[in-house]
Amino acid sequence: MTDDIARLRTDFRQELARASSEVDLQALRDKYLGRKNGAVTALMKSVASAPVELKPMLGKLANELKQELEAELAEKKTLVDASKAPVGAVDITLPGRTPPIGHRHPLTIVREQIESIFTRMGYQVLEGPEVEDEYHNFEALNMPAEHPARDMQDTLYLDGEMPGLGRPATLLRTHTSPMQIRYMESHQPPVRIIVPGKVYRRDDLDLTHTPMFQQVEGLVVGERITMADLKGTLTAFARELFEPDTKVQIRPSFFPYTEPSAEVFIGCVFCHGAGCPICKRTGWLEIGGSGMVHPSVFESVGYDPERYTGFAFGMGIERIAILKYGVDDIRLFYENDLRFLEQFPL
Amino acid sequence: MKVVVSWLRDFVDLTVSPQELGDTLTMRGFELSSIEPVKPMDAGRSTMDDAVLDFEVMANRPDALSVIGFAREAGTAYSLPVKPLVPKPLLQTPTRDVTVTLEAPDLCPRYGAAVADVTVGPSPPWLAARLQAAGVRPINNVVDVTNYVLLELGQPMHAFDLEKLAGREIRIRRASPGERIRTLDGTDRALDPGMLVIADAERAQAIAGVMGGGHSEVTGATKTIVLESAFFNPKSIRLTSKKLGMKTEASARFERGADVNAAVKALERAVNLLEDIGAGKARGGAIDEYPAPVAQRKIDLRRARMQSILGLAIGDADVERILKGLGFHIRRHDAGWEVAVPTYRVDVLREVDLIEEVARHHGYDRLPSTFPALTGPTPPSDPRIARDQLVRRVVLAAGLSEALSFTFIDAAMAAHFADAASIVPIGNPLSAQFSVLRPSLLPGLLAAVAHNRHRERSDVRLFEVGAIATRAGESRRIGLVWVGDATPSHWSGGRRSVDFFELKGVVERIGEALQTALTFNGDGFPGYLVRGRAAAVMAGARPAGSVGMLSPAAVSAAGLAANEDVYVAELDLDAMSTEHAQPLTVTPLPRYPSIARDISIVVDGILPAETVRGTIASAAPGTLVSVREFDRYQGTGVPDGRVSLSLRLTFRSSERTLTDTEVDAAMRDILSALKAAHDAIQR
Repeated sequence: MTDDIARLRTDFRQELARASSEVDLQALRDKYLGRKNGAVTALMKSVASAPVELKPMLGKLANELKQELEAELAEKKTLVDASKAPVGAVDITLPGRTPPIGHRHPLTIVREQIESIFTRMGYQVLEGPEVEDEYHNFEALNMPAEHPARDMQDTLYLDGEMPGLGRPATLLRTHTSPMQIRYMESHQPPVRIIVPGKVYRRDDLDLTHTPMFQQVEGLVVGERITMADLKGTLTAFARELFEPDTKVQIRPSFFPYTEPSAEVFIGCVFCHGAGCPICKRTGWLEIGGSGMVHPSVFESVGYDPERYTGFAFGMGIERIAILKYGVDDIRLFYENDLRFLEQFPL
Repeated sequence: MKVVVSWLRDFVDLTVSPQELGDTLTMRGFELSSIEPVKPMDAGRSTMDDAVLDFEVMANRPDALSVIGFAREAGTAYSLPVKPLVPKPLLQTPTRDVTVTLEAPDLCPRYGAAVADVTVGPSPPWLAARLQAAGVRPINNVVDVTNYVLLELGQPMHAFDLEKLAGREIRIRRASPGERIRTLDGTDRALDPGMLVIADAERAQAIAGVMGGGHSEVTGATKTIVLESAFFNPKSIRLTSKKLGMKTEASARFERGADVNAAVKALERAVNLLEDIGAGKARGGAIDEYPAPVAQRKIDLRRARMQSILGLAIGDADVERILKGLGFHIRRHDAGWEVAVPTYRVDVLREVDLIEEVARHHGYDRLPSTFPALTGPTPPSDPRIARDQLVRRVVLAAGLSEALSFTFIDAAMAAHFADAASIVPIGNPLSAQFSVLRPSLLPGLLAAVAHNRHRERSDVRLFEVGAIATRAGESRRIGLVWVGDATPSHWSGGRRSVDFFELKGVVERIGEALQTALTFNGDGFPGYLVRGRAAAVMAGARPAGSVGMLSPAAVSAAGLAANEDVYVAELDLDAMSTEHAQPLTVTPLPRYPSIARDISIVVDGILPAETVRGTIASAAPGTLVSVREFDRYQGTGVPDGRVSLSLRLTFRSSERTLTDTEVDAAMRDILSALKAAHDAIQR
């Protein structure tokens, strides 16, 4: 009798595999499970006439077979049904249950982009303290006390001192350049670093100024570093950050810690040189300052300026974000209005 | 600096249009900020198209705060000769109508003076028109001539009414203690002995290099003038101008550095002009007090060095054309040139300054674009960068958006978040709003919450990673704030407000990301959090921050309704750093099935879940792999003050399949331990 059960199962499965419609399935159900002529029904009736000692075992097997067949029929029915009439349909135009997610700050997006470009160019990314001492912020950068160039960077001073790195801190750094000094003081060339971070100026809050903003500083020092390398580096950077055909121009400028000094411009990303209000119809947008490291800066950190040359550059991250995203008010970056933040990609 | 093109043409035969000239000089380091047309002046002087070009002049180029300075730049840019200005010399014998005593040669290395009889009146139209075009208001012929020379040569001058100088003498001395002067702008000013004054026998008549005094001002009644043309110590002028808060055309030039050799030339030019326009006539020659003449600076410029800085070889002819055009005297030798620097180029101090001059006029646009070679592997970046990025990622994924706020905040707000003694004030704050360094990231985040709340956003979830500063130093933190709903609203319902566990969960996730085991204490949290809804966070033995509900006082100070539930957390990222994290070794996956058992026990409502877990762990065999609370219930069926706690215990062995019997035995031990320790009753 156990052989009969095994055979029934095999037969049923072969037929089930061939069934492709509800009619087929009904026929199959009638054949095996039909109350009158069903093969399994018959099998179960025959258990009654089996020897007493075998009855429980056979009964259990027959019952299991019946349940299996029911289940397999039901499953097959779902498959046959699925292509026709959906059951329990949902309105797929209702909003999904999106897991919560936050938005990165646009300045972080830009900063990470800059970091990634320079990392690929073989730069180390470093950070420095935001409270600084006069020496690292000014003097070592060729800006002695009462130097007129200090007017270019109106400084916020601390009331009293704070522990700093090495010397007590007395001011909020006006640029990320002190980190150039700190790095060179403790490392020998070659140097290839960028330093992103917040900087502070005593500027009132308006459409184009905030008393705190972010810069990224670059410094490359070695035995054969030239101003042409500076130009090539800035060009490669701008073309990756903006567009592959972005034009880059450097123009003479003055910074106490570089000589020769240069301001960095890119071809206007809005009008491509046609002239628009953003580039003041010049076709060019300033993105930062740069130059060859001044020999007196090398002297202040104990590098031999005859042996080593180097270039440095600095750019405002807000400025770049403004150009990339067409932001017309720099204060938006620090208001943390979610309607602003949520516009930026995840 | 406003440059009148027709004035420039007095010195260089420029044929280019003003716009083109402006564009060219922009590429030489003088950015054109505006261009304005001017009316033709008088028939004799201006026939070609004229304009006023307003250029930015860098702080290191006081010599370019003059028409002659721009003439040198334009002449070099277009390879045109610059016509030298050679004034008619004055008489050899210095005038005796005034005596000059130079008492402070350290602050005034050179003092020149001339005396002229004048007829004060209006200037001729051409002169007045030039001044006006250059942005200077004409006053009278004498003052106008001094201003004309200032603009043309960059040498500030001053005219005194000789009759008003007591004793007909000029003393260049330090101000006396308590000395005062009423300056030309009508302001009475207190002087101090650090300041240099031009005085007569009795009193200060001018603040040297900054502004003249009203007493000896040239007026319509003036008959004789003393013209002053001096060189003052730049640092001294800068200090005086800063202390007095006075910035003038004269101080701007002197503090950057005037030309010590322009003093007498300017006197001559001024007297010539007075005579030319019929405004006056010199009385005798110039007085020139110049006790220690300045030697001309000589710098060696090496061809090879220039190439190694620029990455470009510039032909000798071009180098020489540029340097000569700018007024340098050069002598060529094998390796390069010996360059004598004219005294007006106060910015040219070393070889690299000359290299910039050559590069500037050769054209930065002609530099090639090359790429620096890597000569070794790049050392790793600051580990804080990757750490902060990871933390940001984790918190963003928890649904909080990133904020950035100012490092300085309002002192009153800061007081809610730190002891007064630890707060660092700004010495020269812009406003009360930005008066102290933030001792915590929370004030900035709360301001952001208030900002959004006032703009129809009820659910605000924000975080910030940044520096805080106290008298103890600067450190890096992450701050988190969460108000409103716990989950985004959805049509399918299930709305719930944020509670302690939302932020605790995020904090736990940060700990997980940094591979730092965190513990939470119901004590030792800051006073701005509410007891019973707050915890101090510990990373091992180190305090790592806190999490909890903000006190009504702090909520209200942030500009929110005091009864608002505001949950915040702040963690010290440096204290949580992963420097000691062990390298990861994968645990083999379990080969045998686990057995899970649920129990519900009734215990004291104040019994911490952590203690229950501890009791279970101590009574359980090693096969207990996890304990997880899945329900906590107070209410019907549970006596007051008690709580029903449901836990799922999972058992598994790594060596064999566990049997129901042994797990049942373990459960009995656990339940009797719970009963013994906490009077726990199984439900």
